[in-house]
Amino acid sequence: MIDPALIQSVIRVLFAVVIITAAYIISTRNLSTLVSAYAFQSLTLVFMALALWSLEDAPILLAIAIITFISKVLIIPYFITTIQERIRIKRDIEFHFLSPTTSLLLSMGLILFIYIALSNILKDTAARESLFFFGAVIGLSLMLMGMMVTFSRKRAITKVLGYLSMENGVLLFGMFVTELPFIIEFLIVIDLIILVMLTTILSVGLDSTLEEYHDRLHRFHLVEDTEEGS
Amino acid sequence: MILAAFIVTALAALGLIAVSRTHRQMNSICIGEAAVFLGLEIWLLLSGQIPVLSLVLGNQYFFIDHLGLYEALIASIIFLLAAIYARGYVDNLLESRELGRGSLKLFYVAWAFLLALIVFAFFSDNLALFWIFTELTTVVSAILIAILYARDNIDAAIKYIFIASVSMLFSFVGLIFLFQISRSTFDPGTLNWTVLMQQAPAFPAGMMLAAFALLFIGFAAKSGIFPFHTWLPEAHVRAPSAVSALLSGVLLNVGIYGIIRIFALVHRTTAVSTVSILLLVFGLLTVGIAAISMLPQKKLKKLIAFSSIENMGLILVGLAIATPVAIFWTLFHVMAHSFTKAGLFFSAGILHRQYHSPLSADAVDDMHDVFRFQPVAAWGIILGGLAIIGMPLFPVFLSKLFILTQLFTVSLPALVLLLVLLFIAAASFGYYVISTFTQVSQPGPDAHDIVAYKTPAGMQWPIIILIVMIFILGTVFTSGETGFLNTIVAELMF
Repeated sequence: MIDPALIQSVIRVLFAVVIITAAYIISTRNLSTLVSAYAFQSLTLVFMALALWSLEDAPILLAIAIITFISKVLIIPYFITTIQERIRIKRDIEFHFLSPTTSLLLSMGLILFIYIALSNILKDTAARESLFFFGAVIGLSLMLMGMMVTFSRKRAITKVLGYLSMENGVLLFGMFVTELPFIIEFLIVIDLIILVMLTTILSVGLDSTLEEYHDRLHRFHLVEDTEEGS
Repeated sequence: MILAAFIVTALAALGLIAVSRTHRQMNSICIGEAAVFLGLEIWLLLSGQIPVLSLVLGNQYFFIDHLGLYEALIASIIFLLAAIYARGYVDNLLESRELGRGSLKLFYVAWAFLLALIVFAFFSDNLALFWIFTELTTVVSAILIAILYARDNIDAAIKYIFIASVSMLFSFVGLIFLFQISRSTFDPGTLNWTVLMQQAPAFPAGMMLAAFALLFIGFAAKSGIFPFHTWLPEAHVRAPSAVSALLSGVLLNVGIYGIIRIFALVHRTTAVSTVSILLLVFGLLTVGIAAISMLPQKKLKKLIAFSSIENMGLILVGLAIATPVAIFWTLFHVMAHSFTKAGLFFSAGILHRQYHSPLSADAVDDMHDVFRFQPVAAWGIILGGLAIIGMPLFPVFLSKLFILTQLFTVSLPALVLLLVLLFIAAASFGYYVISTFTQVSQPGPDAHDIVAYKTPAGMQWPIIILIVMIFILGTVFTSGETGFLNTIVAELMF
């Protein structure tokens, strides 16, 4: 077996990578790199689940790694990229309330806040081993950073990516704090895929005039052709 | 086994809608689905074998207790009436080209699926399963909002999805907390509500408080509690009125149901004192925001939507008091509000068909001569309005009265504040109805430029049925009804 100490330091490096991708998602204006950043972030989670699996030998972690890889590294980024190419949006330069710099500063504050809050709440539970505690902090921070993206960006498609990044945070948090039954993890992924599909389809509608929207829906075979008479 | 019957009905309905070709067929299938659901629930009610545990394959994911059955009954009745109402309403939407024929199938599939999701949410024992179903109801009901040919609808749907889903993720973190709490108390840990209720007295208060706060964020967003209520007025106004009735009468209950379940857990721990204050504060804030927003309102549907927010706030206040009597009347209020609000939205839908401006959807409703054109809808609004502001003879009067008297035992300032706010809400409703419904155009040659919308009987009967129902609920009290509600309170261990 691999040395546990090595794995622990690998996980620490992965924590840093996750935070960097989150910061990138907050600040970038280019939509296609946004999607790649999300896919990369999910891939980091896959590696983290694998590293934890080799540490703890819980089969659930392997299952999480597989399902995350399939859904969040392959299917969802592919879907968003396809839609994005068809509707030809390249950039989302409109930020609602927060400029990227403020967001980054704010997220640093958030991480600190969560660290303090969590060390208070988890004071007397078993979860307070350093690595697991750190995982919970990073997970919640990622979640709040995702929320900032959701509420500070204007385009629905960017909001979706913020939401997805939030969900990654929840996954990370759940992975380090406790072991949820597999059925729950699986159902969440299903929910996520449905939500992403719906919101991206709706965002096609927002980013175009209505006639074009219905043309596009027909082209994607999302609604059937008009039936005459009833 | 009974659960299998529900699943088969839902699947059959979805399958039949997929192969049916006309609007009439799809609508009848939705009516049928709701009727079968209602029949199954009444059978469950009469057979007296609830609570039913371990329904499928001996697992513990689902169960049916009195609270779940109660909520499912309310949901099925409203879905049944709304489906009957929808036939005429959707026909008119098709005629005015606000809804495309191509989207019709999607509309009814989402409709039938929504009923199934809501009923399964109420029958979930496992809280994570409940979470999933609740989350899916957001997505499916957003389809029902976005279905009309208007950009504002898509806007409202997207706002709804993001506010509700983002908040629901916080709930999920709350569930992870809860699971960890139960795991540190009892290995291997569970999220089954029935088991958690037995373990709850051993849970640490601090962790429970954190779990409740996180769970509350999501369920509060689903039920339109301040400060997560911002999606609600927009979604309710933009949605077709048949859907608005579902959103307000059924979907808000899903969030409240979640809060009731979690609060019952917290009530067994020492964290209950802090949580009660939290609920009371949020309840009062919600009623306050709703009452103040209702005052300058010029649009009927928006007024009714804000009134829903007000009632959700009142339900939170009732929960916060947490005495058995208060819980009893809070549960009664859930039912009273659902039926009254469905009737109001049905009536508003007819008026909306009659008077809506083709030029701009956001224009102020220009209503006049309502009694000449739409007598049933006008009386629906007047009687429904009297019912919702809590006039005697209607059920909301009873629940408001008893919640307020119970609040007196807890805090007098809160009672005074709540009374003032409820008065503002009632006054703004009354002001709107009086100022709008008394507008009569002068008889003259050019006064009849508006053509009376011929309301199909199918759109008027649901309103009459609901008015009669709430009248009976407000005046007749059977021992069966009292016993049923008392059993719920006992099962929640208040």
